[in-house]
Amino acid sequence: MHAPHCRMARLVPTLAFALSILSAPAAHSASKPEDVLAIWYRLTLELVRHTPTYTPPVASRTLAYVGVTAYEAVASGSDDLQSLAGQLNGLTPLPARDKAEAYDEAVVLQAALARSVVHQFANTGPTGQRAMASITAKQRAKVSDGVAAEIVQRSEAYGQAVADHILAWSQDDGGAVIANMGFPLEYAVPEGPAHWVPTSALRQQQLPLLPDWGKNRPFAMPDASSCPLPPPPDYSEDPGSAFFAEAKEVFDTSAALTPDQRAIARFWSDDAMLSSTPPGHWISIAMQIQKRDQIPLAQSVDTLARLGIATADAFIGGWNAKYQYNLLRPVTYLRRTMDPKWEPLLITPPFPEYPSGHSVQSAAAAAVMSDTWGDDFAFEDATHTDDGMPARSYPSFWAAAEEAGISRLYGGIHFRAAIDRGLDQGRCIGAFTTALTTRSDE
Amino acid sequence: MKTTLSATVLLCHASIAYAQSDPAVPTFVEEGGSAGITSVYAGDWEYMVGGGVATFDCSGDGKPDLLLSGGKVKATFYRNDSAIAGDLKFVSEVSGLELDAVLGTYPLDIDSDGVTDLVLLRSGENVAMRGLGDCKFERANEIWGLEGGNEWSTAFAAMWERGATWPTLAIGNYLNRFEEDFPWGSCTDNWLHRPDAGGAKFTAPLPLKPSFCALSMLFTDWNRSGTASLRISNDREYYKGGQEQLWHLEPGKEPAAYTVEEGWKPLKIWGMGIASYDLDFNGMPEYFLTSMADNKLQRAMPAANGTAMAPTFADVAFKAGITAHRPYTGPEKKPSTGWHAQFDDVNNDGMVDLFIAKGNVDAMPDFAKEDPNNLLLQRRDGTFQEAGDLAGVASTKLSRGAALADFNLDGLLDLIVVNRREPAQLWRNTSTNAGHWVQVRISQPGVNPDAIGAWVEVKRDNVVMTREVTVGGGHASGQAGWLHFGLGDATKAEVRVLWPDGVQSDWQALAGDQFYVLEQGQAAKVWTPE
Repeated sequence: MHAPHCRMARLVPTLAFALSILSAPAAHSASKPEDVLAIWYRLTLELVRHTPTYTPPVASRTLAYVGVTAYEAVASGSDDLQSLAGQLNGLTPLPARDKAEAYDEAVVLQAALARSVVHQFANTGPTGQRAMASITAKQRAKVSDGVAAEIVQRSEAYGQAVADHILAWSQDDGGAVIANMGFPLEYAVPEGPAHWVPTSALRQQQLPLLPDWGKNRPFAMPDASSCPLPPPPDYSEDPGSAFFAEAKEVFDTSAALTPDQRAIARFWSDDAMLSSTPPGHWISIAMQIQKRDQIPLAQSVDTLARLGIATADAFIGGWNAKYQYNLLRPVTYLRRTMDPKWEPLLITPPFPEYPSGHSVQSAAAAAVMSDTWGDDFAFEDATHTDDGMPARSYPSFWAAAEEAGISRLYGGIHFRAAIDRGLDQGRCIGAFTTALTTRSDE
Repeated sequence: MKTTLSATVLLCHASIAYAQSDPAVPTFVEEGGSAGITSVYAGDWEYMVGGGVATFDCSGDGKPDLLLSGGKVKATFYRNDSAIAGDLKFVSEVSGLELDAVLGTYPLDIDSDGVTDLVLLRSGENVAMRGLGDCKFERANEIWGLEGGNEWSTAFAAMWERGATWPTLAIGNYLNRFEEDFPWGSCTDNWLHRPDAGGAKFTAPLPLKPSFCALSMLFTDWNRSGTASLRISNDREYYKGGQEQLWHLEPGKEPAAYTVEEGWKPLKIWGMGIASYDLDFNGMPEYFLTSMADNKLQRAMPAANGTAMAPTFADVAFKAGITAHRPYTGPEKKPSTGWHAQFDDVNNDGMVDLFIAKGNVDAMPDFAKEDPNNLLLQRRDGTFQEAGDLAGVASTKLSRGAALADFNLDGLLDLIVVNRREPAQLWRNTSTNAGHWVQVRISQPGVNPDAIGAWVEVKRDNVVMTREVTVGGGHASGQAGWLHFGLGDATKAEVRVLWPDGVQSDWQALAGDQFYVLEQGQAAKVWTPE
C-alpha cells in the first residue's frame, strides 16, 4: 500500500501559477502566505492542546477542516491545485473567485484561516480567545499593509466565504457538538469479561470517550467501515491461549523496559490536554519539514489538508472498530490474571482497546507523508522539545508510524494485535486520501 | 472579655446526638449585603485567577477581620463589628491595605512583633504590609528587603525554617502576562524569599526552577519528618513539561524537587487550590487538590517495613465521594471548575468537612456556567455527602477565594466567598443541630509567635484530630487566628501541641464550647469573647 511515487517531486510551482501572481493588477502584500499558514497552524496546535474538548478524534476532525480550508483558499488562486469538492464526502463546489478581479493570496489565506480557526475553537478558554484575537488583528494588519483597500476587502470576503462554506459542510458530519468533554452521560457498556471497563478513578471517565464517533461522516473513505478489521484474538484467561500470550507480552515488556523503550512510549504518548494529540503530532512533523525545506505554499497546504483528512478518517474508522469489539485494556486483564497491582507506564486512555487509535492514524499519516515526500525520507521530529523530550530521528515515515504503534505496547496500554492490525487499517484508510486528486496535472 | 456565649446557642449544640450515620446538615443564612460586604473582585483576563480573602484579627477583639482582593479595583478592608453570636456586621475602613491589582492576601506575623502583617499577591509588584496595630498597615518591602518583582503572582506559602529568626516565603507566579499570541509555556519563575544572614530581612528571591504556573502552594510536613516540604499545585493549561510539585526544603540547602526515583508520581492537572487535613486520624495529612472536572484527594502510601516514607500518593477522591466533578444542583451536567478548598468542621460533629468554591473561569462553554459551591459533609466512614444546597451555600456565582471562620465567635464556622465580577458573599452559620466545639489559638514566645509549622492534636472520645498550622494553600486566601475543632457529643476534650521546635506539650484537658489560648510551656487559658 506504500505509494510508489513521490508527489512532492512533481509538485513545483508552474509557470502559470507564477504568472498569476506577477500579472496581478495591484500592489500585493509583502507578507508571504507561507508565513500566514505557519502562524495559524502553530496556533491551532496550541489550541488543540489547550481546549478541553480536544481529545484526539476531535482534534483530527478540526485539523481536517482547517486543512481543507487552507487548501481551498490557496487552490482557488492556483493553477497547480484543484478543488477537493466532489472528492470529499458531501463537499459541494466552493465559491469561485471573480476572474476579472485581483486578489491578494496572503489576505485570502489570512481571512480564511482566521475565520476557520476562530470558529473551530470558539469554545476555548479566555487565553486562547485572547491569542486568537491578537493574532487575527496583527496578521490582518500585516498582510494588508501596502495592499489596495479594495483588494483587501475583496480578498477577505473571499477567504471568509471559503471558510464559511467549509464550516457549513462540517455541521452535519456528526462531530460538531462535543458535550461533557466527549464523555457520554449515559451509555450501556457491554457486559462480559472481554469487554472494556473503566480504568481510571476519574468520575468523568466511567463511561468511554465518544462512543458514537465511528458513526461520523468520513472525509475521503466511503464509510466508517470501509477498512474493516478481523476480530482480536478470542478472549481467554487460559495461559495457553493466544490472548493470554499477547497479554503476557505486555506484562513481560513492561517489567523489562529499556530506557529507549520508555522514551519511545513517552514520545508518542501525545495525551489530550498535554500535547497537540496524535494527529497534531503528525501535523507538527509536516510543519517541521516544510520549514526546514522551505516548501512552497501549494505543496504545504496539499500536505496539511491530506494529513488532516487521513487522520480524521483514521479516527472514524478506528473508533468504528473500537466500539464494534469493545475490548478490555491490558491493565484490566493483567490485574485480573497476573498481578492485581500491575501499573502501565502510560495512563490508559478511557475507551476500548482494539484497535490502537494511534497506530491507525499514524499509518494513515505515514501513507500521506510517504506519498508526498517518498518512502525513504529521513527526518527529525522535535515536536516535544518544549516538553523536555529530545528530538528523535527516523529513516522514513513508516518507521515513525511503526514506532508510534509499538510505543503503545511499551506504554502498557495496547496488545500486539491492536497495533499490528491498527497499522494495517491505517494503511487502508490512508490510501483513500492518497487517491484524492489535488494537482491539476494528475 | 467577660461576655459569655449565648446560652441558647450552647444548649442547642449540646442537645444533639452524633452517633447518627448521616452528618447533620448545617444551616447558613446569607448576610453579606446586610453585613456590609460589597467588595467585588473585578477585572478581565488578568484577574481570571486570584480573588482571595484574608481573615485575621487586627483589632484585638478575637473576631476575624477581613481583607478582600479587588483585582482591578482596590482591595477592601473590613473591620468585624459583629455582635457575639449575633448577626454578622462588617465596616469598611481605611487600613493602608487598599492597593489595586491584588489577587491574593495572606496574613502572618513576619517580624514576630505580635502584630499580624500581610503579604499581598499582585499582578505587578507584590507588597508586604506591616501591621501597626488597630488595623493600620504600612508598606514594608524596603525595610524588610522584599523584592516585589513585576510578575503575575498567584500562590503563597510561608514558614520558619528550623532555627530561623525570619520567615521563608514562597511566592508562586503564573504565566508571562505580557505574551499575547503564544503564552503557553511561558510560566515565570516561582520565588523563594529566604532570610538574609542577619535574620531580619529577606534576601533576593531564589527562583524555583522549574516553575509551572502555580496557583496554590503549601509548606507542609507531609511525612512528619520535622521538616516541611513545599507542595505546589500547578495549572497544566500553561506549562510545558510540567506537573504537580513537591520540593525538599532543608535549612541552608538549595531547594530540590522530589523525583520519580524517590517515589514521586507525576500528576498533571489544572491545579488551582490545596487543602490539607488528617482525615483518617492517623496523624498524616491528606491533600485535596482542586481542578476542572474531577478533583483529587491524595493519601500518602504507607511506608514499607523498615523504609522511609516515599512521596507516593494515591488518589482516593472517587472512593471518598469528593470528586465534585460537576454541578449537583440545576440542570447543568457540564464539568465543574474548582478553586479554593478548605477542610473544617461546619457542623461540629468531630469530622472535618470540605468546602469548595466553584465558578467558571469566565465563560468557557464546555464547563458549567451555573456551578454551585460544594459543602461536602464527612460521614463517620470517611466518605462525604453533598449538602451545599441544603445548607444554603450553593451559590452559582463565579467564586474564587473563600474562608470558613467563626466571625461572631459562637462556635459555628461562618463562610465568606469572593466572587469574580460580583460582590463577595457572606453566610452566617445558624445551625441549631451542631455539636460541641473548642477553638484554640496557639502562641510561642519570641520568633514565629503564631507557631506556624506546629501540629495541634485534639482528642475527643477515642479519636485524635490532628491539624497542621500552616500559612498558604487554598486559592489566594489565607487565615490567621482561631483553630476550630468540632467535638460532636463530647463536652470535653484534650489538647496537645507539637511546637515548631520539636517540643511536644503534655495533654491538657479542655471543656467544650470554649476558646483557649495555648502558650508554649503554659497551661491552657480560657478566653472569653466580649
